[in-house]
Amino acid sequence: MKELEEKITQVASLEALERVRIEIFGKKGHLAAQFAKMKEIEPSERKAFAQELNRAKESLQQLFDTHYEHLKAQEIERQLQAERVDLSLYSTLANKGALHPVMETMDKIIDYFIALNFSVETGPMVEDDFHNFEALNLPKYHPARDMQDTFYFKDGGLLRTHTSPVQIRTMLETQPPIRMIAPGSVFRRDFDVTHTPMFHQVEGLVVDRKDRVSFANLKSILIDFLHYMFGEVEVRFRPSFFPFTEPSAEVDISCIFCEGEGCRICSHTGWLEVLGCGIVDPNVFKAVGYEEVSGYAFGLGVERFAMLMHQIPDLRSLFEGDIRLLEQFR
Amino acid sequence: MIVTRSWLNEFIDLSSVCDERLYETFNAIGLEVDSMKRIEIDERVVVGEVLSVEKHPDADKLNVCQIDIGAGVRQIVCGASNVVDAKYVAVATIGAVLPENFEIKHAKLRGVESAGMVCASSELGLPDMGKGIMILDESIGELKVGEPIQSYATIADTIIELELTANRGDCLSLFGVARDLSSALNIEMNSFEPKQDDKMKLGIARIAELRSEGSMEANLCYKLATIERLSNLFLVKLRLAMVGVEFNGYLEPLLAYARHTTGVIVRAYDGGIFRNSSEKIAIEAHTCAKGLVEIRGNGTPYGMVGVHQVEVSRVSERSDMILLEASYIAPDTLVEAVSKNRMDPDPLYYQTSRGTNPNLAFGLAYMGELLRRYATFTCYEGELGLIDERKREMIVVDAQEISKIIGMEVELSKIVMILQKLGFEISRMADDNAAVSVPRFRHDICNIQDIAEEIVRIIGINNIPAKALQVDEKPRLNRVTSAYKAKRAFKHRAVGRGFYENLSYLFTDRRLLEKYHFEVVISELDLINPIAEDLNTLRTTLLINLLEAAKRNLNHTIKSIPLFEIGSIFTQNREEKEVLGVVFSGQKEEESLRNAGKPAMIDFATFIERLGGVVGSFDLVACSHQNGLIHPYQSADIVIDGRVCGFLSRLHPTAQEAFGLPVTFIAQISTDALMPTHINATAISKFQSVYKDLSIVLDREVEYREVKSALEALAHPLIQSLYPIDIYHDEALGDQHSLTIRLAIQSMEGTLEESAIESVMEKVMGQLSTKCGAVLR
Repeated sequence: MKELEEKITQVASLEALERVRIEIFGKKGHLAAQFAKMKEIEPSERKAFAQELNRAKESLQQLFDTHYEHLKAQEIERQLQAERVDLSLYSTLANKGALHPVMETMDKIIDYFIALNFSVETGPMVEDDFHNFEALNLPKYHPARDMQDTFYFKDGGLLRTHTSPVQIRTMLETQPPIRMIAPGSVFRRDFDVTHTPMFHQVEGLVVDRKDRVSFANLKSILIDFLHYMFGEVEVRFRPSFFPFTEPSAEVDISCIFCEGEGCRICSHTGWLEVLGCGIVDPNVFKAVGYEEVSGYAFGLGVERFAMLMHQIPDLRSLFEGDIRLLEQFR
Repeated sequence: MIVTRSWLNEFIDLSSVCDERLYETFNAIGLEVDSMKRIEIDERVVVGEVLSVEKHPDADKLNVCQIDIGAGVRQIVCGASNVVDAKYVAVATIGAVLPENFEIKHAKLRGVESAGMVCASSELGLPDMGKGIMILDESIGELKVGEPIQSYATIADTIIELELTANRGDCLSLFGVARDLSSALNIEMNSFEPKQDDKMKLGIARIAELRSEGSMEANLCYKLATIERLSNLFLVKLRLAMVGVEFNGYLEPLLAYARHTTGVIVRAYDGGIFRNSSEKIAIEAHTCAKGLVEIRGNGTPYGMVGVHQVEVSRVSERSDMILLEASYIAPDTLVEAVSKNRMDPDPLYYQTSRGTNPNLAFGLAYMGELLRRYATFTCYEGELGLIDERKREMIVVDAQEISKIIGMEVELSKIVMILQKLGFEISRMADDNAAVSVPRFRHDICNIQDIAEEIVRIIGINNIPAKALQVDEKPRLNRVTSAYKAKRAFKHRAVGRGFYENLSYLFTDRRLLEKYHFEVVISELDLINPIAEDLNTLRTTLLINLLEAAKRNLNHTIKSIPLFEIGSIFTQNREEKEVLGVVFSGQKEEESLRNAGKPAMIDFATFIERLGGVVGSFDLVACSHQNGLIHPYQSADIVIDGRVCGFLSRLHPTAQEAFGLPVTFIAQISTDALMPTHINATAISKFQSVYKDLSIVLDREVEYREVKSALEALAHPLIQSLYPIDIYHDEALGDQHSLTIRLAIQSMEGTLEESAIESVMEKVMGQLSTKCGAVLR
């Protein structure tokens, strides 16, 4: 018995164990031989003998099973180790492209306003004088038209210089209350280190009944929006002038690079200009035939947001399709 | 607009306002500060009196000066030729440190000792005032020898550059800026009172007259004077240099100074040219067109109000009689007239087109005051004037209405106080409203919201509380919003498939479009003023821009270039449509272990697989598109939901060579076709489906498309799907090849018997042999 136990426990491989199994438990094995002795035993002792033998068989079986599990586990472990790969060789295989940082920034902006139940609206890029200027309180010869250098077509059409004409179109097509944003590309005839002839804006417009929409409301949403985009920055409003809003303001955030200390990016002022906004000018409402309404509007340049948020140094690089820039945003 | 602190002090006492507060106030009231520079000059730069000037013995251009600097007389060698005219100068004494850390030391110039330096304005960090050294005079105050230059407030000034918005013509003067500050800082303005003139000659009307023709839309006011000599102009010139105002000609520094101070357009004419046959100075104001008022003498035009002045009419030292003119014309009328009549205005038009100060009497009185200070002159008593007294804009200001616009309670008394300081007149006061008349210099104000803006500016936006808007909600998920979301989804799929998003200009090179046979926007509808030759028309395809981006990447030695872009393109009639453009150039994947550093080039199958991952399933049919980028034998129309919505192709080898690219595939698809469509489910069979492969031999000419449509035409209810899995050719097959098709056969009713399956296969084979001439392999 002791001998058989040792036979089992000394075995070091599953193949050898299988041989031992046959040797012990097989038809011609040790146990079978013992059982065969039964008929030579006195009938009176036979029962005790059989019981003894069964106990021995059971205990051997148990020992065998345990040792089998042990060897099996060893074998799996060996196999696993043999299949080991150097993972560090593969970490660069991720086959993913990237969204353009300007578009990704635009999506982030749009997300905010969709969550506040603004609709998204679009309009044509080739516009006419009425939608791009006239209806926005920018009559012909208005000096504020100097602020925008416009691309014109031979038939009098023009490329929209801002996304504001979408506001006019939406107001003409629907009725208040309106809560909308107009994201899209806009065009100005300017090409240097800080200007490209095409860039992107998101404009917002809210129109409701008279006396409902105030400058305080405008402040509230823009402060919250800028916190959403830039984290806990300080927000500052400065009175400004846009023909289509009155009162108008420009909005600054405390410089996210120097935290207001003053650096090259904020021209040592500690502030970064990020938005223009105001209460919609009554002349704009008049142009679309709205009466007894009040509203606010705001607009921002997406490239500027993207450059600030991702510390992209060169505006023009955004229009080069340069994979070396894009792959950083994978 | 540039102002200086000491200059502003003439109108408003800023002694209690530090630079910091001034900066904040300007920004808060909408006069954005572009820059603020404080002049600081070393205390060792002092007033010196030039006692003598002698030529340097060994250098023609140098002068040896004896200069009293208070602490004694110093010998200083000076290179500026104008030192011979100088009495008082700024002397940097030994030890003084000038800008850029330039320290003054004892020196020997060509053998002559020099104990200091006579300074030019730019050497002290002041603006450039022209050639030579800076010659001081009493205009800056009493000149005490040895006194540090820094102690003169008009020199050690703070220069503030303001960025004005287009509506604020009223702030294009020191006076206008001071008026805004007065309201914001709640400091009263100093009233300007010209000194009583004791040099009056006889009344102006005795020798001059003013006549007008046509309905006048301009205000004019004239004074006559004779001027003998100008002197002590240092301060005038220094300040004009500080604020960047250039001047050219006799009397011009004073005129420019008066204009910059008061905002009134003041000009001077040589009076002699107006003298008529009866020896009278006769000025004719002639309205030529709406908004254009010409000033004539003896029928000859000498100027146009608000536009320009004829050169010969300007004054010189020789002018015996000087005619001073102050004018005003409403900017909106003027701007329209100038544009319509294509006038060529002079630099003052910048002011007149934005609105100048209509207080002509103030402008002339200030000019008179300048003459009294800086000239030897005599003046005729009184003025000749033509004032167009148009009714002033009246606005009823309701405190409640203002408060609603702002979103904060503002009391009427506060509103009224602010408006009064800004020059508005209150003509009637009630409990909660007031009627105010708008000053003429604020032509930009015409309604209650303009008034609200003034109130917002002065109380400060940052003092307005932020309040959330209360709204009656309704859902706003419209078609555009849904389309935006769908586009965003397939953009993300493209990124997941390894593509990079490109962003390019709406413009492209017309020659390139023509070279590759794309349509071009017809000439009558094209751009008038493109920004560059290679961006001279609207793009009619995204592919040219994408290929150029691919080329740039190749130049950066990037070997696998998968790009996509969603953007607008135009038809020849300039109709806008949005498309998805895809370009895949070079290696089909990045170099890695997987491909032993040698990835295969992009191929048709991989490109379609990638594209399908972005846009979903599509069918390919023979290519109907034609352009120079398309490869005639590796191209196809893309069909989605039965509609051709774009094309894909291998880039034509000629184009590939022209762009210098490796193997490249392109596609352009209308984004409309990619919008999610409504789908109904079909029933799924509970019974097993059987897959059967069928190998046939047929002519190589026969495209798989024909095989497929022949089998689809069968419309056999048991055939669930079929697709090609192998194509084989060897010499023994000659002009034919072998095609293996896998069919999935399944019934909705029960498990199929072998015989039923065989019957299907027989029908299929029969159809293929009749329609496609195929035989079983």
